[in-house]
Amino acid sequence: MTHSPAKRGAALRVAIAVATLAGAGVNLPARAGEVPSPGPVRDLYYGETLFQFYQDKHFDALTHLLVARDIGRVENHEAESELLLGGLYLHYGQHNRAEEIFDRLLTGEVSPTVRDRAWFYLGKVRYQRGLHDDALAAFARVAGALPESLEAELPMLKAQSLMAMGRFDAAAAVLDGWQGPDGWLPYARYNLGVAFVRLGRFDDGTRQLDRVGRSSAGSAELLDLRDKANLALGYAYLQQSLDGQARVALERVRLSSPFANKALLGVGWADAARHDFRAALTPWLELQDRDLLDSAVQESLLAIPYAYGQLEAHGSAAAGYQSALVAFDAEIGRLDRAIDSAGNGGLIGGLLKADDPDIGRWYWELDKLPDSDEARYLYHVIADHRFQEGLRNVRDLAALSTHLQEWRAKLAAFDDIVDTQREAYAGREPQFSAGLDRVDLPELRARRAALGARLDAIEASRDPAGLATATELDQWQRLTAIGADAGLADPGAADLRDRHRLLQGVLLWDLDREYKYRLWVQRRKLAETDQLLARAERGHDGAAKARRDTPAELDGFAVRISGIVPRIERMQLAIAQARGQQEERLQALAVETLREQRDRLATYRVQAQFALATIYDRAAASARVAPPSRSEVSR
Amino acid sequence: MPMHPLKIQLLAALLIAGFYSSLARPETAAADSAAGPEPAPALVADSVDSGTVDSEVQVLKDEVLDLNRELFLLEEELLFPANTQVAVFVSMDVGEFFDLDSVQLRIDDKPVSNYLYTEREVAALLRGGVHRIYLGNLKTGEHELTAVFTGQGPHTRDYRRGATLKVEKGIGAKFVELRISDRDSKQQPEFLVKEWE
Repeated sequence: MTHSPAKRGAALRVAIAVATLAGAGVNLPARAGEVPSPGPVRDLYYGETLFQFYQDKHFDALTHLLVARDIGRVENHEAESELLLGGLYLHYGQHNRAEEIFDRLLTGEVSPTVRDRAWFYLGKVRYQRGLHDDALAAFARVAGALPESLEAELPMLKAQSLMAMGRFDAAAAVLDGWQGPDGWLPYARYNLGVAFVRLGRFDDGTRQLDRVGRSSAGSAELLDLRDKANLALGYAYLQQSLDGQARVALERVRLSSPFANKALLGVGWADAARHDFRAALTPWLELQDRDLLDSAVQESLLAIPYAYGQLEAHGSAAAGYQSALVAFDAEIGRLDRAIDSAGNGGLIGGLLKADDPDIGRWYWELDKLPDSDEARYLYHVIADHRFQEGLRNVRDLAALSTHLQEWRAKLAAFDDIVDTQREAYAGREPQFSAGLDRVDLPELRARRAALGARLDAIEASRDPAGLATATELDQWQRLTAIGADAGLADPGAADLRDRHRLLQGVLLWDLDREYKYRLWVQRRKLAETDQLLARAERGHDGAAKARRDTPAELDGFAVRISGIVPRIERMQLAIAQARGQQEERLQALAVETLREQRDRLATYRVQAQFALATIYDRAAASARVAPPSRSEVSR
Repeated sequence: MPMHPLKIQLLAALLIAGFYSSLARPETAAADSAAGPEPAPALVADSVDSGTVDSEVQVLKDEVLDLNRELFLLEEELLFPANTQVAVFVSMDVGEFFDLDSVQLRIDDKPVSNYLYTEREVAALLRGGVHRIYLGNLKTGEHELTAVFTGQGPHTRDYRRGATLKVEKGIGAKFVELRISDRDSKQQPEFLVKEWE
């Protein structure tokens, strides 16, 4: 059986949808639940972290927050940033770090709101690590009201923990009557239905599953959930021999759904249970052309000849078993090759080669997967959560390695920058130092002080001439000199004396009139001088500091850069080693999963052979009793 | 070892489907064969080995994160030292009267950033995120910062509005926030420029 890459991509998407959907009751609320509490941002860099976080760029958000905390840029959001940091570590799979942070928060002096949120997150860390008892203990410590999204998530997490521990009655008690956000209700109802059915409370369980199965779904995820509920409901009815109701539920599963194959198989079994084998053949024959990797399709290859057998069409039954044997053999052969390839690292290598190693872009471009028979087995492998966890580690490590590689290139540039700055400094230093040395700040300060004192004296003695312009001063001095001239005292110089007195009076009048304004102007100029002097002092201090510190700072940068380079190299080695171990583990998991597939097919093969032998035995026995009719032979 | 949550869900669902399907089937050779869902033993928790590897990976990731933090600090200190550093941020609240498309930023009449926002980024802004649109260096003294916001205003009309601020760059780093906010009284967006210490 061969498939186009596009078709294979679709199949893999379906497989991932199955895996994702299985955890959807957890995943969907978890994402909303980690939103930090709303409120105005009081530190820009805290908001900047949120900007990354809200775009699901968790690595960037984590790095930015670590840097911001390190240099005191989020002091106004201390407790929130601690909670956010814990949440980001949790997202990034750093459970130990996350737990440390929440533990630390809980031992410190924090507000009851922060305390409740810390207990919630601590419970969630434990839940994600599978420590369900401890998770429930932490959830029980949540004393007050949580923010709305966390409040809604809490019962879901409690119920999941209880279900994981097999305490379905307690899980049902938590979920029953729960009024969560609209988008979450179908997940809760589905979980509740499962819990009830597992408890043997069939009516309660089917009621919940039926509600989900009939709900109007607005998203692809909810459509998948609805199909999944109908599938579970259908099989639950089949168990109770309610074949008609089973058929109705199973027929609600979309033909394009990841659950369609199992639904078609179930519809067939519902018909078969009513001994309507002709009707059962319709869904089963539809299945036989689908991908043989699906267990429902594999089973249909045995169910079809079984139905023919029940319809007394033994020839068709024998042919059906024979073609099943051929199909199983071919598939087992392909599986053997895939197992060999997986064992040699080909399968995983192919998967990782198609991956985008960039940080923050955790997706697979499924259509770009290697176009080989082996790739079609990936979806069975990927559906295993251990594989997903391991793959996530490999991808995280690959992304970190790429990231470090980028830093390594940047560090080379930083080194060049430091060298260039050092050269530039060395070139400018003599001129720079000479300039600095030329500036005599104490002398400037003394001149300013003298000016200030002079102005104070003028003001104290109210000396309008002290503020005269150069022309006025010249005129004043000349008039004073004339006044001191002995000739002016001559009795014949009365006219001159009058003119001198008049001119002196006019000048004094003018100076006195301008005095206040001029004093104000001078005071203002002095204040401006003070400002300029202060700026010059700051500039001078800065320049002097730069002259003193720059060489040491540049040396410091060079030391830091040269110290980081070997650390990057050591880490690259450690990453490569850890990645190798992870890949080996993935390889072993892939081989294990494929062997399970092979073993199941081998079992089916034995069953087909046995059924075929039984048909031949019966035919041989009846041939001994009576010769076959013409029609039987031709069939 | 505990089970992974994803598996618990899967197990619960598949056990219902798988278990009931085998009961519902007639007792034939074909029907006796298990109908597909992943066998339960495979769903049981990880091996000890995987736990160890996972812990090692966690430690390693932590070390890389720490180094990454150091590198960021080094980069900022080297390229944008505090005495010349200027960072400009964009924030937004409500967004009822303005749907942001882009922000152009000029400092002393020189264009320094022209940022086109994606829907995802606008959504992050509306939820309280703050975008650092520019990080650069300026000499001490007075500078003029001009931001032009484009987008759709009330009644989905194209909207373009500018805001200017004179900033005094001192010795320490200077942070400026460009804030887009809704002014309910006028049913109009409002563009504010704020200096942070």
